[in-house]
Order: sequence, then C-alpha cells, then structure tokens
Amino acid sequence: MSNNQETLLKVENLCQYFGFNRAVDDVSFEVKKGEVFGLVGESGCGKTTTGRSIIKLYNITSGSIYFKGIRISAGIRSYQEQMKTAKAEYAEKVKNTADPAEKALLKGELDAIITNCKKEIKRARFDQKNCDKEFSKQMVLAVKTKYQALLSRASETELAALKAEYKDELRKARKTKLVTQIQMIFQDPIASLDPRMTVREIISEGLIIRGERNKKVIDEKVYEMLELVGLVREHASRYPHEFSGGQRQRIGVARAIIMNPELIIADEPVSALDVSIQAQVINLLNDLRHSLGLTILFIAHDLSVVKYFSDRIGVMYYGKMVELTTSDELFKNPLHPYTKSLLSAIPLPDPIYEKNRKRIVYNRLAEHDYSVNKPSLREVAPGHFVECNDEEFEKYKALLSAQD
Amino acid sequence: MENKLHVKDLTISFRTSNGKVQAVRGIDFDLAKGETLAIVGESGSGKSVTSKAILGILAGNSIIEGGEIIYDGKDLLKISEEDFHKIRGDKIAMIFQDPMSSLNPIIKIGKQLTEAMLLKGKARQRESREIFNRYLKTLEKNMIQASAQGNSAKAAELSNKCKSFDKFEYKHLELENKYNVAHESATQAVADIEDILFEISKNAFSDGAYRIKSLKSMALASVNDWVVSGKKAEELVAFAQPLPALFSRAKKSGDYAELVSNIEKINAILKDAVALAQPNFFAMGYYLTFSGKNELPKQPVEELNVTLRKYLDDNFMLSFIEDAKQALIYSANVSKKEMLEAISLLNENKKVYQQEILDKKQANSVCQRLTKEVMETIDPLNTKKDSLIYTFGTGLKNEIDKYFGGIVKNAKEIKRYNKQKADYDKRVARGKEPDWKVVPASITDLELAKKNMVHQIERTVAHLETLVTAVDTRDYDAETVALIDFLKANASGVVNKVTKSIAKARAIKLMKEVGISEPRKRYKQYPFEFSGGMRQRIVIAIALAADPDILICDEPTTALDVTIQSQILELINDLKRERQLSIIFITHDLGVVANMADRIAVMYAGKIVEYGTSEDIFYSSAHPYTWALLSSMPDLDTNEKLDAIPGTPPNMIYPPVGDAFAARNKYAMKIDFERQPPMFKISDTHYAATWLLHPDAPKVDPPKTILDRIARMKEKRGVENEQ
Repeated sequence: MSNNQETLLKVENLCQYFGFNRAVDDVSFEVKKGEVFGLVGESGCGKTTTGRSIIKLYNITSGSIYFKGIRISAGIRSYQEQMKTAKAEYAEKVKNTADPAEKALLKGELDAIITNCKKEIKRARFDQKNCDKEFSKQMVLAVKTKYQALLSRASETELAALKAEYKDELRKARKTKLVTQIQMIFQDPIASLDPRMTVREIISEGLIIRGERNKKVIDEKVYEMLELVGLVREHASRYPHEFSGGQRQRIGVARAIIMNPELIIADEPVSALDVSIQAQVINLLNDLRHSLGLTILFIAHDLSVVKYFSDRIGVMYYGKMVELTTSDELFKNPLHPYTKSLLSAIPLPDPIYEKNRKRIVYNRLAEHDYSVNKPSLREVAPGHFVECNDEEFEKYKALLSAQD
Repeated sequence: MENKLHVKDLTISFRTSNGKVQAVRGIDFDLAKGETLAIVGESGSGKSVTSKAILGILAGNSIIEGGEIIYDGKDLLKISEEDFHKIRGDKIAMIFQDPMSSLNPIIKIGKQLTEAMLLKGKARQRESREIFNRYLKTLEKNMIQASAQGNSAKAAELSNKCKSFDKFEYKHLELENKYNVAHESATQAVADIEDILFEISKNAFSDGAYRIKSLKSMALASVNDWVVSGKKAEELVAFAQPLPALFSRAKKSGDYAELVSNIEKINAILKDAVALAQPNFFAMGYYLTFSGKNELPKQPVEELNVTLRKYLDDNFMLSFIEDAKQALIYSANVSKKEMLEAISLLNENKKVYQQEILDKKQANSVCQRLTKEVMETIDPLNTKKDSLIYTFGTGLKNEIDKYFGGIVKNAKEIKRYNKQKADYDKRVARGKEPDWKVVPASITDLELAKKNMVHQIERTVAHLETLVTAVDTRDYDAETVALIDFLKANASGVVNKVTKSIAKARAIKLMKEVGISEPRKRYKQYPFEFSGGMRQRIVIAIALAADPDILICDEPTTALDVTIQSQILELINDLKRERQLSIIFITHDLGVVANMADRIAVMYAGKIVEYGTSEDIFYSSAHPYTWALLSSMPDLDTNEKLDAIPGTPPNMIYPPVGDAFAARNKYAMKIDFERQPPMFKISDTHYAATWLLHPDAPKVDPPKTILDRIARMKEKRGVENEQ
C-alpha cells in the first residue's frame, strides 16, 4: 500500500461516552481508499461502538469524522470543556491580580476563547445535522447542469421522455444521502434480517428508500446482487429462515453492496458462522473488494481472520487505540504489551505448539507507570503507531532498531 | 485408564413434518477419566444431539432408535427420569453455547448459582448417607464372614468396630470442616492483601470500602484453634477491627500509610498461620471420641500428630485395616468363585450362538441366564464399576435383536430390491433411460451379528479370566486404603450440610475460580449486567457447582473473543487437571481444540468419519472432510485463497446411500456414491472412514495447504526449540 493514497475516512479524536462509561476515548485513525482496515480487541473495548459511531448510529460525544473530506459527524463536549477550563483559569488569574488593565486583557482573552468555542459548537451542530443536505444539494446541481444541457439540445419527440427522466433523477438526487455510501454488515445474520420480509424486500429496501420506483430496475439490481454474492435469482422470493447461516450472511452482504457504497463497515461478519462457511464468506468479501474496489473497516476478534484479510490493523483496549500499523508489521514486531498478550492468545492448529503455548497476561497497572508522564499515540517507526509515554517511546524505538 | 462413559452404536432421529431426519447414525466412542474428547463438525452434523442424548434432554420429537450410553454401570438411554435427576447436572454437567439464553434473565446471578447447590445438597446428603451405610454394612458382613467363622463374640467385636468407625469419622469431619473454613479464609485474605497493597501503591485502589470490609471479615474468620489461636488471634482481631475506620480516614486525607501498616501486620500473622502444619484430624477425632478425655495433650502440631496417630493405630486402626483387608480378600474370593462359575457357564453356552440357525426362544432365555450369572460376579466391596461386566447383558441382547430383526428386514429388503430391479430392467428393455437408480438392498449381515454375539461372550470370558488370575496378586493393602478413603469421602458428603451461607461462600469461591473479579458485588447482579465472556464464566461456574464427573462443553467459546476464549479454555484445562474431570468438548473450530483435546472425533452427517489423538488429526489426518476443515481456516501465515468447502451438508431426511461427504468431496471415487466406507484402522489410536484407505484405492496426498502448514509449523517449532 502506497502512502499517497486518497484518504476515504478520517476519524479525529473520536470520543463516545455513555454516561460515565467511556466506550471510545480519543481515538484517531485514517482509512485509505481501497484498503481493508482491521479493528481488533476484546469484547467491550469499543470497536463496535467506533463502527457504529462512524455510520451515525450514535451522536458522538466529541471529535470529528470526515468521509470523503466532508465532516459527517462532530461532537461538542471538547469545546464545552475548553470553555469551562478557560473560565476557571480566568477566575483564578483575576483573583491574583489587582491591576484593572490586566483584568480587562484577561477578560478579552476569555471572551475570544468563548466566542471561538461557541462558533465551533455551532458549526459542529450544523455539520452533524446538515452534512447530507449539503451533499444532496451538490448532487441536485450536478443533475440540473447535466439535464439542462441535454434538454436544450433535445428534439421534440425526445423531450417528454427526457423531462420525465429529469424529474425522476432530480427527485432521487434530493433524497441522496452521503451516509448511505457507508454500509454496514452485522454480526448476527439471523437477528439482522427481518423474518417477515422476503429476500427481495430486504435487499431492495435501501434502494426504495433512496427513491427508486421503477420495479424492473429494482428487480434487475436485486438479481445482479444475488448473483454477485453467489446466490441465485430464485432465492429472491424466499424468506430468511429458509437459508443456512452462510447464505444469510450473503444476503446481508448483498443488502449492503446494492447501495453502491464506498465504505463497508463489517462488524464481526464471520464470528457467528461455522469454519467452513466462514471461509466462503471471507472469500466472497475478498472477491467483492477487488471487483468493486471497496474499502472495508473490518471489525473482528479472530486475529487469524483479521490478519488474513486486513492491510492495516488497529488494536483497541478499553476505548483507546494502543497500536496501529500494517498487519505484517503488527504480527512481526508487536510493541505494546497488550498487543503481545493478544497475539499470545491465538490458538493455532498445532497440538505440540499449543500444549506449550503460554498466554501473556496484560495488566495495565503493573505494566506502565503513567502517574507522571501521560501516554499518547506516537509514531515509533514510519506507519507504526503505539500508545506510549516518553520513556516507553525511547524503549520501543531501541527495540525496533535492535531487531533490524 | 478407567473408562467413564461408553457410547455404543447410538442412533437418533427426529420426527418432522417432512419426514424422519436421521441426526445421529450409529456412533461409538468412549471417554476415559481425566480425558478430553473433542467432537468436531459443522452445524447439523449431530454433535450437539449426541451430547443432549448423554444428558437426556433431547427434544420431544426425537426417537432413540438404538444403541446405548453406559455411565456408572447404567444405560442412560433406559433409566427413568427419576434416576436421571441424580445424574443430570450432578454427575454430568453441561456448558451451553449461548450464555444469554442459558441464564434466567430475571433472577440474580447469586441465586442461579446457589439454587442447584441448595437443592442438590439435601439429595446428595441423603445419597452419601445411603452409600456410606451400604458399604459399611457390606464391609461388616464380609468381615464377620471372613474372620469370625461362627465365633459370635468375635462377630460382635467386629460389628462394634464398624460402628465406632462410623462414630468418630463424623467427629473428624466436623473438626476438619471448621479448620478448612478458617484456613481458607486466611489463604484468601493473604491473596487479597497482595492485590490491595499493590493497588494502593499504584494509587489505583478501587471499590475500597467494600474490599476492606471483606478483608476484615476474612481475617476474623481465620481465627481457629489450629490456624490463628491464642495471643496471635487477639492481635489479629485488634488489627482487623479498626480497618474500615482507618480506610475511611485514609480516603478523606489521602494518606494511606496507617492503613497499609495495619494491613501489613495482619499479613504477617496470616502468612505464618497459612504455613503452619495441619493436624491429623482423623486421629484427633478418634482420640476425642474414645479416649474419654476432653483435652488434647499439649504438644506442637507435629508431635501431636505422631502421638495421636500412635494412639489411633494401637487402639483401633491397625486391627481395623487388617480386618477390612481380610474382608476384601474374602469378598474377592467369593466373587472369584462366582466368576469361575460364570466362565464355565459362558463357555458351555457359547455354542448356542454358534449354531447354523439360532432359536429365538433359546437364545433369549440363555442370554437372560448368562446376564444374571455375569452380574453375580460383581464384588460388592469394589468401589469401581466394571463397565464391561455391566454392559454384557445389554450388548448381547442388542446383537440378538439385530439378528432376528435382520432376518425379517432382509427378506423385505430383497423383495423390494427385486421388484425395483425388475421395473428398472423393463424400462431399459423398452429403450428408455430412467432418471433414477435402483437403490441397492441394505442387508443386515447375519453372520456378523452371530460373530458379534460370540465375540461378546469370548471377550467377557477373557476379561473374567484376567480378573480371576488377578485375585491372588491384587494389592489388597492399597485397596483397603482406597476403600476407607471412599467411606471417608461419602461421610464428608453427609456432614457437609449446605446452608444458604455456605452455598453463598462456595458460589463466591467458584466465581473467583472462574476468574470473575469482585465476585461479591457481581453476586447480586442480573445476567444482563455481564459481558459475554463473564456470562459464559457464570455458566461454567454453575456447571461446576455440583462437582461433576463429566463435563460436556457445547461450543463454549464460539461467542467469545480470543483473549476470553483463551482464558476460558485455560480455565477448563486447569479445572480438568485439578478435579480429574472427563470432558466432551464440542466445537466446529478445529483451531481451539489443539491445546484442549487428548482425542478428537470428527463428525459429519451423523457419523464419526475420523478419530484419533490430536496429533493424529492435526499432523496425519486421513479423511477428506478433516482436510477440508483444516484447510478452510486461515492461520497467521495464510496468504492464498481459502479452500472453502463447496455446497452444504446433505439433507438427512434422505441420507445418501454412500459416503455422506461424497457430493462435496473432490477426491470422491465411484464407490463413495454407492457404499458407505467402514472404519479403516490406521494405527492403534487412529481410525478413519474413507475408501481412500482401502488397499485398492489410488494414493492421494492431503491438500498442499495442510502439508505446507505442517512443514511450516515444524520449522517454527524447531527454531523455537533451538533458542
């Protein structure tokens, strides 16, 4: 993977709090176009929450998410906190000075910070709400310019048909949402399909919501998708319960790719499947990725599968990203102790090795001393990020250079 | 090794609206004590059905068509529901796949954990009492017959001895129980203190008030005559009492120094206490009951043990052991006589089953007589149940039924075949090409059934003969000790009454054992407050609460992530080692069984297609289905496309005539579609059912991915070993 690729998704300082529970805490990463980015970690570490925040199933607490350069999600907590601390600092400083001129100066500084923050909050709220509107406006404009040129050139006979088409396209463009270009595949193929809808209804639902009314077009698309994921046309009129687990997951995949997405968030798509069927679904996703040029955010806990499938991997631990690098590098030179513990837990099909395998236990308290020097995500080697403080940073660097 | 469970020729089907689904088609395996057997296969292969049959919880539409599951000398398929209550959950426990649906959502975790303990506690008490009494009585009877020989005074003395054993054994357990509670609290407190001190030093002490309180109660509970006593006990109480007050003060001021120094003092006392020698309570119980003195001699524990032991040995134990040994020898000789009789009877009647044509009436009546005779050879004082003898009757009867059933079925089958064949030939003669094939007649091999009957008898004779020769060379001293231990264990079952508070303490200990932090807090929570891994741990804890013999794990880690999976597997492995559990581990993921399983059975479409030790399966598997399973999972070095198994498992309403895997098998030969392959023996431990192993079959190597992987693993291991 070359570095100068277009960034499709950018997550900046994402925080997602549920009350006091910091499910995701200050996570930043980028996903390049066409790559598979794996997110791993134990259950409850916030990887699914990250995925769901990106697709706007939650209103994020703080931070921003950019998709194709457009901010689709923004939180306001950090600005509120900034204002709070500024006010407290101001009060502290005012207490200590008697000089009215300096007081006025401080007041001015505070006001500047507050207006700035308020502006940011306003902007964040606006982006959060209106990112889709902006996008559909652009789409409408594109359709208008395209058809106005066509209409002006059109002959009498074509005009009526063209006008109808124009109207239809315009309606669809108005309904288009940016976020529909991100689609999700869910973990449980049984729970994520409505048992009372036929496969055709399930797969076409998104298209209909987007404004497609032509039944023929819808059917054609559904058939195309079914064939793409390895099912046959006849399956369209069946109900989900008539399918096996692997086939159900294929339906989930078809439902996602019919929207012609650029980014797919696959949330543990193979965890609930048998090993043999798991291989079928992974192969399918791999084929689709190459043929459709998909970008995939792959969330899973099975490290062998993630290693096999992903280009880059981010390791999460209790809401924090602790290590982020290419998948080969991660398995070759794991630096963070949590990553090491995670890797030591992978079972391999080798009884002799397995009987001697020792799992490394990770204890955050015993492992690091962050009482003085706070950690942050730093680039230890090009493209290899690890959460560490100054002291550990040097240690990891030395470790890496010693291995080379 | 002692075999715990035998599954023989088990066949189960389900009635559905579309027809009969044949879920399990004649599987055989056995499970030794302390062994893990993994059953691997896709969903729908019948692995869960097998485990449910063992537990007797098959769905209502199931039909058990044949076979037997022998546990503890009983056929689990034939015993009543009443009897099953004593086994299910108590002797054989199960961990289910989905922890959410196997916990009750509206009952707190604590109650769910203790419920069974409280219910089973009473039942177990009754049962232990019953076993204890029965064995003691048998022992007494045998003792009198062996040593008294009509001497009534001697007989009275012997029966008096047994009674006094009964009496002081209870005293012993009472003392030991008290000691155990105190000793355990002390050990626990020491472990807790280590954590608490560590967390305070790291300035990350959480949930403090609660933990300090529990530390205090544990410290106080460790006061006992033999753990912390006298002056030390007073000191301990003095240090432990003010702990909560100290903690609240420390929390306010942020200065933990005083609290830490106090805890360290407690730690010092308890650490010494834990290291103390344990007194011999067995001897002490006898001394206190029969010496007529209420006080023990004032001596250090080691010396006291010697004195008490000597007192016990001189007055009671040596002669009791000698008598018990005599009783054992006597009983063994009685059963030897029975065995010799049984052997001669078996040899005499063998020819009944060797005739050209068997007589049904005669065969059945002889079978009954033989069964009775063989059952009589069982030594009532033997605590281990010999499954070969127990299953003799049912095994022979099964074969007889198969033979006579086969006669009727074969005639029908031949008739059907002839009719179909004629029909087919007629069509072909007319120049048509029928789109169906004549299903070959499935003929029961009558000669084989007869051979099996004779084999059953010969095997039992051989087994009895080895037992007979062993009678004179058995180690009766060791057996006497084992018998006395057995009695002791059952007596403890009677004395250990499970009250609510004991159940709670035990539940909390179990929760800790399965790795749940802050168990006291968790005890009061509902299942939805737990994460998936934690829920699974609770399910394991519930399964272990009854201290089972056999644990069936039905995909216990499928819903969990790697770290938790690895922890749970380690946990199961540790528990297996500690408790000598036998485990049946059911999974679809071959990857997880590599470090778990001693033996692996691969199931497909209701049949075991391959079984062997885990080394056999991973390094030299022979069945194409095993190859497919192995090559469809990625490992850390896989880069090429995965070999997914094409298609889906067959519809078991119409099971295929030949090898069930043939349709998805790229190595399938013509014969695979026509006849089912038998189990071919590869080595003593390794068997596989595939025609590829037939001497006439072409040589086929396993897929390249597997060979590459094995080579890669070997290389890696080699490198690691050198380092």
